[in-house]
Amino acid sequence: MRHGSAMKHWPRSTSAGALALIASATSANAHIIGARLGDFYAGAAHPLTDLADLILWFALALLAGSLGPSAARPILLFFPLGLLAGSSVGAEVVFAPAGGLAASGMLVLLGLLLAAGLRIHRNLLCVIAFGAAAMRGASNAGGMGPETNRLLFALGIAIAGYVAIALVAAATVAFRGEETVSRGWRRIAIRALGSWIAAIGLMMGGLALAS
Amino acid sequence: MRPSLRILAAWTIVSAFFAPIAVHAHESSLGALELREVRHGAYVARWTIEPTIGAARVDLRMPPHCFFRLPELDCGEKGLVGALTIGNLGSRMSAALIKIIPMEGEARSYTITTANPTVSILGPGAPSLQSWIELGATYLNYGVDHILLGADHLLFVFGLIWIVGVGRRLIGTITAFTIGHSASLAAAAFGLVGVPERPLNACIALSIVFVGVEIVKKRRGEAGLTARYPSAVAGAFGLVHGVGFASALAGLGIESRLLPAALAFFNLGVEIGQLAFVLLTLSLLWAHRRLGAVLTGWGGLVPAYAIGSVAMFWFIGRLLRVLELD
Amino acid sequence: MSFIRRSFLLAAIASVALASPAIAHEQAGVAAGLASGVLHPLSGPDHLIAMVAVGLWGAQLGAPAIFLLPITFPLVMAIGGVLGVLRIPLPAPEAMIALSGVLLGVAVAMRLRAPFAAAAALVGLFAVFHGHAHGAELPDASDPLAYGAGFVTATGLLHGCGVALGALSRWPVGERLIQGLGAAIALLGGYFLATGLGVAI
Repeated sequence: MRHGSAMKHWPRSTSAGALALIASATSANAHIIGARLGDFYAGAAHPLTDLADLILWFALALLAGSLGPSAARPILLFFPLGLLAGSSVGAEVVFAPAGGLAASGMLVLLGLLLAAGLRIHRNLLCVIAFGAAAMRGASNAGGMGPETNRLLFALGIAIAGYVAIALVAAATVAFRGEETVSRGWRRIAIRALGSWIAAIGLMMGGLALAS
Repeated sequence: MRPSLRILAAWTIVSAFFAPIAVHAHESSLGALELREVRHGAYVARWTIEPTIGAARVDLRMPPHCFFRLPELDCGEKGLVGALTIGNLGSRMSAALIKIIPMEGEARSYTITTANPTVSILGPGAPSLQSWIELGATYLNYGVDHILLGADHLLFVFGLIWIVGVGRRLIGTITAFTIGHSASLAAAAFGLVGVPERPLNACIALSIVFVGVEIVKKRRGEAGLTARYPSAVAGAFGLVHGVGFASALAGLGIESRLLPAALAFFNLGVEIGQLAFVLLTLSLLWAHRRLGAVLTGWGGLVPAYAIGSVAMFWFIGRLLRVLELD
Repeated sequence: MSFIRRSFLLAAIASVALASPAIAHEQAGVAAGLASGVLHPLSGPDHLIAMVAVGLWGAQLGAPAIFLLPITFPLVMAIGGVLGVLRIPLPAPEAMIALSGVLLGVAVAMRLRAPFAAAAALVGLFAVFHGHAHGAELPDASDPLAYGAGFVTATGLLHGCGVALGALSRWPVGERLIQGLGAAIALLGGYFLATGLGVAI
């Protein structure tokens, strides 16, 4: 990029601004958005109102980012595709009782991988990303009503997933720094965050078993 | 070349192709209700523009002290004062204009939109602070919604960012676009310029085709018009897009004394929505560079051709409507 | 570049303002769950002092403990949390939590250089009890997932406080301060233990 000098300063505030936008959407009701802005935005807002989606997406993007840009790049393709696939079959396949357990299992898996600092193969990461995305896409398809345009709704979910994954993975790559630069405590911080995620997943699993 | 480098391009195409559907969904019906006072506190209600869902299916809720059964509305001694709301606004009926004609004094208009589904009706006299706040909230939200659903405007802004790149020049370009569309929006809203809607929409589509061509030129290393004079091009096309914004306001039929305020808040809403879109695009561009998912080689041309073909598709469709072949 | 930075701020504020009418309608459950989860570890002083003590001790022990601690503690605590959610009773949970304050406080005050495995086993045992106490309240929360996320975050931040305070140990005066803090924690823990047993008897 030619504007290299200007570039250095804005990424952090850019992502901060974008995250603030996403966070504010969290508190808005997806259905209100649907009435105001149509089914595309309703689909995009639906996962952002669900904490299980937020944590799972964040965990996946964190894992992808912590493995470096080359591992994170294919996720930009596989994750939205998985969401699209999941939300298009989701309306037919009902697996609500197992949904909570599957999501918490996925959280535990992602959290443990992060906490252990394992360098898993990028193909395995793709499989995990696609699986997690398909699962959450199917769960989010439950937000469609009988009058919802399903294509627009599913597309909204996929685009929201794409944006969220790209931003969080890039922020993680920026935070963790290059391989050559020693930033010990930052990697520890990422691993600690992973163990928090696994802990949340464990308790969710417990709750799903209890109820 | 690695396939992952084309991801951004692929998603641009996918989202661009479905954008027309979103735009189409936005062109939903308006309703206009006229309430004419026949004796003190009693009105005759009539839909001057009947919503497509049918007058009977509108869930119109009057203040609780009023008795309402179309076409009769009786509010007794207190008169028509209080909250008026429509319970079932949605994608099939997005806004309603309520016009109240009292026996004495001027007629008053209120706009109910999905963003602001309740209005409070005040007695005769000057508008109070409450009604100004209500007006501001209504038109601010309406402006935000309008730009977020206007895929053609967003696509044009996306093209500008793509050509100009990140830096100080982008601020100037976006500012010029803003000044351009604000000026023509104001001019059109006050009736200083009148452009027929159908040819205008075709022109807006053509402006996006132009941006697509300019991206291809930039990719080939030629300095196009936009690359050399970005602010001038953005300002000029801003004029065209602004007239387009005005047609959204015209459909609501605002009272003339409220028009300047409504226009200001609508414009502010449009800018907020546009700024949010620019920020999101910039952060996505940063994220892709950070992850090394940058378009190289012919992959860099894909977004340009995607933008160009979608815009051309719109242009032909809108041109057919101008020629009334549709 | 300050222009861009300022505009981000503006956009963020505007977006929050725009979303605010919608906030009133929905997501009260998530916000309430998150708030109660974050506040739960902070509102119980017996939990709070023990978490800070864990961070302090980790900082005193140095290299492996200081970074293994924040990674493993939440996991072990979550296992206790699952036991709590499933209503599997543990013996004398209140007393054990108070006791953890006493023992960890004493360890910090005496600069006990226990072998890593022993320290990990002790902290892990207490982590199960702490998690159990939080987990028992989880199913009653307005949004259980938000509650869980909130309390894990609060616990992690308390550790962070302990570790950050532990950085004082680079200076001799700071080292004394930390030992004093440990002693205070041990005394408070002793008080909670005494009152807890007194109520029990």
